[in-house]
Amino acid sequence: MATTVTLKSFTGLRQSSTEQTNFVSHVPSSLSLPQRRSSLRVTASRATPKLSNRKLRVAVIGGGPAGGAAAETLAQGGIETILIERKMDNCKPCGGAIPLCMVGEFNLPLDIIDRRVTKMKMISPSNIAVDIGRTLKEHEYIGMVRREVLDAYLRERAEKSGATVINGLFLKMDHPENWDSPYTLHYTEYDGKTGATGTKKTMEVDAVIGADGANSRVAKSIDAGDYDYAIAFQERIRIPDEKMTYYEDLAEMYVGDDVSPDFYGWVFPKCDHVAVGTGTVTHKGDIKKFQLATRNRAKDKILGGKIIRVEAHPIPEHPRPRRLSKRVALVGDAAGYVTKCSGEGIYFAAKSGRMCAEAIVEGSQNGKKMIDEGDLRKYLEKWDKTYLPTYRVLDVLQKVFYRSNPAREAFVEMCADEYVQKMTFDSYLYKRVAPGSPLEDIKLAVNTIGSLVRANALRREIEKLSV
Amino acid sequence: MSISMALFSPPISSSLQNPNLIPKISTSLLSTKRFSLISVPRASSDNGTTSPVVKIPKPASVAVEEVPVKSPAESSSASENGAVGGEATDSSTETVIKYQNAKWVNGTWDLKQFEKDGKTDWDSVIVSEAKRRKWLEDNPETTSNDELVVFDTSIIPWWAWMKRYHLPEAELLNGRAAMIGFFMAYFVDSLTGVGLVDQMGNFFCKTLLFVAVAGVLFIRKNEDLDKLKDLFDETTLYDKQWQAAWKEPDSSTVSSKK
Repeated sequence: MATTVTLKSFTGLRQSSTEQTNFVSHVPSSLSLPQRRSSLRVTASRATPKLSNRKLRVAVIGGGPAGGAAAETLAQGGIETILIERKMDNCKPCGGAIPLCMVGEFNLPLDIIDRRVTKMKMISPSNIAVDIGRTLKEHEYIGMVRREVLDAYLRERAEKSGATVINGLFLKMDHPENWDSPYTLHYTEYDGKTGATGTKKTMEVDAVIGADGANSRVAKSIDAGDYDYAIAFQERIRIPDEKMTYYEDLAEMYVGDDVSPDFYGWVFPKCDHVAVGTGTVTHKGDIKKFQLATRNRAKDKILGGKIIRVEAHPIPEHPRPRRLSKRVALVGDAAGYVTKCSGEGIYFAAKSGRMCAEAIVEGSQNGKKMIDEGDLRKYLEKWDKTYLPTYRVLDVLQKVFYRSNPAREAFVEMCADEYVQKMTFDSYLYKRVAPGSPLEDIKLAVNTIGSLVRANALRREIEKLSV
Repeated sequence: MSISMALFSPPISSSLQNPNLIPKISTSLLSTKRFSLISVPRASSDNGTTSPVVKIPKPASVAVEEVPVKSPAESSSASENGAVGGEATDSSTETVIKYQNAKWVNGTWDLKQFEKDGKTDWDSVIVSEAKRRKWLEDNPETTSNDELVVFDTSIIPWWAWMKRYHLPEAELLNGRAAMIGFFMAYFVDSLTGVGLVDQMGNFFCKTLLFVAVAGVLFIRKNEDLDKLKDLFDETTLYDKQWQAAWKEPDSSTVSSKK
């Protein structure tokens, strides 16, 4: 008799556990023992209590793509969300390119995309120009957006889902004394009045998502550590209409030591002007020189243009050493989720904001329970598992192909290959690595080695000439 | 030959309106092999700068007459005046130096001009391309949609590359390996009395052989030792930066994974 009773209760436990993905977190108080089983892929924590009279309160600091996506997911998940953004009309200096999958995954309306880039030109140090984009299908494109439009849209959607959007500047936060005390955030609220100094306020929240970009204050307050960063410098240039038709749906990438020692220079079309810019990690002091060189390389095509805006911004090169601490997590640029080689950050910012918010929603069971670090660690795990291969591949590409002029020449030569173009666009537009045919992969490997060997041989010839 | 020279000079350079055109044609009568070097003094005679190798040419192109010229952004915020300020510096004393070569036709090398005894002389194609790249490294040029560069190094057959670069180095490395091998075999034999054939049967000797071959292959110059070490560090750095998040000592009761 007793055994059947215990059996019943055992199966009862298992049934209730199927509601959550991680049944151990729902350990009833009678069995709450801290378990340290590092061999199992399970975190065990002390039972987090249900919040009896309120929903979980989460603050999202920063209202860019990461913050907007996080706030929307949190609000939809039934959590009391506050989004704090310091400048509602901020024109973040940015390339502004989003992959096709972002439009689908985030349900972006097509009218926030200013242009659809379907052709790209890669230009080598010796001006060998290669067109890529022949393999794109009709419906595939790289979307060019204005950041102020995209950011505002995502914030509005978050607000419509129930988040409170505050125009304020985050100053610092007080860490909680106990594991379930709230965080106290100190911020200056601007209340919509421009030029006013704003009022200092505080707010108590249970968890914080730091989405405040490359110079994140949230990261500083949790001692997240520093990262190497690149400086991206960009000039927006309005060029005459007949020159603009060339850039109708075409973006250019210039590589070379003159343009950047470790990155590339670009000409990206925006709504009615082009953005010409470059970036570097190692030679930040020479950025103006690199910008001049980029403009020189594109000179014929942007002749007669007027510079309407000059902007610069740091871009993280790799994640910070600590991306979360207790109930504070970093997402987007604040965490350092920018890929190497292409410098893509918008999609990963929005995706990480969403992933982190999803982890909070799950861990708190739609806002009913308090969360702890284990729930946030799940977001880190999922992120690393999904995207670390992508980051690694791009890092290898950058190391191999951006290290010297011969390598860049080989890179541009490789881009002429149709298979390369197909694989590149597939992985960029859909963020997945489609399995190519092994025979083509071997051919590609042979061609890559061939290109690198030839380019380096030419470099040796050049060195012989200089002697 | 001189007529074809005139035909091949690109229109955008200053040559059309420049009275120096006539001396250019006469200099072209010199041997064609040195033509790419001639483009250097020609450029310097145009703009009076002492060496064309030094700077990025100022954005003042004579061929584009009345269109306002872009100027380098000296001040970061006075951007609306960018185009206007440029006209003041556009004094047209400097002209754009572009890469010119008789054999460089329509953005690629005209292989017919490289023929020697009826076959293309690939070595000179390689050398010409190297000279072009060197020129462009020192004097970066604007790209233009009218003069697309479409040269692809893969038109040069693989055996030409091999003959020129791989074989000499292979000879060098094989020579080194042979010398090391001979003396090590002699040395080990004199010390231990084990002959060459018996040495090959020994595991330790086989390991030494492997180390010797790898050493000759990878360490060809003194700097290679440091380069290899840096390379190894480089390959693992990015991973370390990502895994840093997982190395935190946890203070709570939560156990960390990975």
